[in-house]
Amino acid sequence: MEFLEILQQEWAIRALIASSLVGLMCGVLGCFIVLRNMSLVGDALAHAILPGVVIAFVVVGYSELGFFTGAVLAGLLTAVGITWIQHNVKTKNDAAIGIVFTAMFSLGVMGISYISKNEGVHLDLKDFLFGNVLGVSDSDLYLTAGVTFYVLLSVVVFYRYLFVSTFQAVIAQTMGISVKMVHYFLMLLLSFAVVASLQTVGVILVVAMLITPASTALLLSNRLPTVLVLAGTIGLLSAVIGLLLAIQLETTPGPAMAVTATLIYLLAVFFAPQKGLVFRSAQKRKLRARIRMEDIIKRSFHLQNAGNLSLDQLSQQLELAPRTVSKAIQQLSKQRFFETDNDKITLTGRGQELARRLVRAHRLWETYLVDKMGMDAEHIHDEAEHFEHLLTDEMLDEVDAELGFPELDPHGSPIPAKIGLPKFPLSRLQPSQSARIAAKQMNEHITAQLWKLGLLPDTDISVMSNEGQEIQVRSGERVIELSRELARQVNVVDG
Amino acid sequence: MAEEQTPDKTVITVKGLSVSYDRKRVLTNIFLDIGAGHLYGVVGPNGAGKSTLFKAMLGLIDTNAGSVSINGKPVENSRKEVVYVPQKSEVDWTFPATVLDIVLMGRYPHKKILQRMDQHDKDLAHAALKELGIESLRDRQIGELSGGQQQRVFLARALCQEASIFFLDEPFVGVDITTEEKIIAVLKRLAAEGKTLLVVHHDLSTVPEYFDQVIFINQRLVTYGDTETVFTQENIAKTYSGQLPILHRTGMLDE
Repeated sequence: MEFLEILQQEWAIRALIASSLVGLMCGVLGCFIVLRNMSLVGDALAHAILPGVVIAFVVVGYSELGFFTGAVLAGLLTAVGITWIQHNVKTKNDAAIGIVFTAMFSLGVMGISYISKNEGVHLDLKDFLFGNVLGVSDSDLYLTAGVTFYVLLSVVVFYRYLFVSTFQAVIAQTMGISVKMVHYFLMLLLSFAVVASLQTVGVILVVAMLITPASTALLLSNRLPTVLVLAGTIGLLSAVIGLLLAIQLETTPGPAMAVTATLIYLLAVFFAPQKGLVFRSAQKRKLRARIRMEDIIKRSFHLQNAGNLSLDQLSQQLELAPRTVSKAIQQLSKQRFFETDNDKITLTGRGQELARRLVRAHRLWETYLVDKMGMDAEHIHDEAEHFEHLLTDEMLDEVDAELGFPELDPHGSPIPAKIGLPKFPLSRLQPSQSARIAAKQMNEHITAQLWKLGLLPDTDISVMSNEGQEIQVRSGERVIELSRELARQVNVVDG
Repeated sequence: MAEEQTPDKTVITVKGLSVSYDRKRVLTNIFLDIGAGHLYGVVGPNGAGKSTLFKAMLGLIDTNAGSVSINGKPVENSRKEVVYVPQKSEVDWTFPATVLDIVLMGRYPHKKILQRMDQHDKDLAHAALKELGIESLRDRQIGELSGGQQQRVFLARALCQEASIFFLDEPFVGVDITTEEKIIAVLKRLAAEGKTLLVVHHDLSTVPEYFDQVIFINQRLVTYGDTETVFTQENIAKTYSGQLPILHRTGMLDE
């Protein structure tokens, strides 16, 4: 039969619907299982429902509803058993899970082989282990649809309960949410999902449908509602694609679904925006390139200030091939950091600004390491050399404030002012030095504050003391105190 | 005493509270009357049971004996009025949630199941973010923030809940100076508005500046009351007995 013809068969349509539902439900529910670090519990519960199904078969015969009830009871018994051991017996948590589920699973397997042999009924263990989606009956389908609807509805209705108790259980408790109730409710939903998945993927592979799409979605988004939708969609796609592959390749559908889910996961591992490996290594490469560019600019700044900026000097000091440096300079000229005129290179105002920022970051960080971390001034250069590229403006300001706006770094070199702050601030003046308050200040706010202190534009001042957080200046007969923070922003000119 | 001058309304009453973990006593026979509109600093050495006291008062752990009542009711019936900011370390920072998601969580106790967040809730969240200076971070994933910013998010969530009693466990650990100043300003504003705040705190040097009431705990209640009267070297020494060398080094005791 042709592939498309097969898909028009009733059994194939039933299989497709059942798989989609299971993929969707497991994907959504799986998010909470993964976020609560309960992947192993999910696996355990899946295996442990087997004896429930066997006992139901013995009691009521072959009945979907019977299987369902037996399985859910077995699932809950397992959840309670695991929790009881974890709380009352001195056994490690994961060991407790292992003990309970292998015991339950073994009982189930023994039960099935006993029934098949002695009662002459054909219960195929393989169907339980790996599912038999191609044999889905109408009643199976109704059950699966009902369960899927119930699980999804529960997640929507109790979303806030699930969110808070998963994110921070204590906060849920202080809000009056019973964390224990949420846990067992989730276990109940999990049992439902496992039973409904029996036909499609079987007990061994349910866990793949629970944790793989959820883990994929977690790589793709930072918001829980989006993660839930994505996980459901990925679960659904994995199930459908897996089923189609299995029909086409004439292999077992359950494993084909698990493999598909894993392939999608691997795609996300490498290509997810932000969290994907490809993206992250591109980020790292970009960072390395930026660090090199910034190093060139900073070195040029020092050389230009010393009056001997040239390609040779630059490549020598940076220990890079002249060709590499010249290429980089070409690129940086396009970004207007350099101006080139034949062999002569000059750092532009924009380049100098960036360099000053780097020097500021470097020297502030050195000061921080010595003053706050108690490190030795001789061993801090390399660390600062690295961090100068990583510190954001925000962080620099915080470091600056925490250090009390230092003027000099541990080696005695001046720390450049923040860009936007005056080049010659009042705070730089030493005792007995004099200057004049510049007519033009950074903004009106500064001018207004100076007015309040009686420091009008073009007033001559001389510094009396400059220590700690207060700076005393004399203006005529008056002595005026300024905070260091203000003094840093006051523009002065030679008097 | 101070009680005669300002007849404070007692909002929390703790009577004979005792707690043990694994048969080891952590807190013994604690009695406290907490008055409205005060900022309480809870101090004591490591292992003194400060966090345990909070958890017991909040009804989060089993107690051996004693009772806690909030506005005359058991804590289970006063959930909306009480808010807790636990230690930062107890959080999964990779969780898929943004700053705004976390702050809006503070509105959950006011909402029925399936009831949507309305403009009022969003306004409150926005105001809280603004007061703490983290509005620009509202769509960031919580793990992308600095320690100080993370702590501000949790305080913003607490503000959003519009509770009258706040429990904060070590809110200044691992935060920068700007954040510490911002947080203490918010706490003082809340106290001035008549809210009651209890704060586990470990930096003795800032106690007089931050708190108008102080509770000394070391498994038992050492003493509590107005910071001016009870924050004495004698009481510090009593509470931290056995840890005196540390105090000498930090300059808290000069003998």
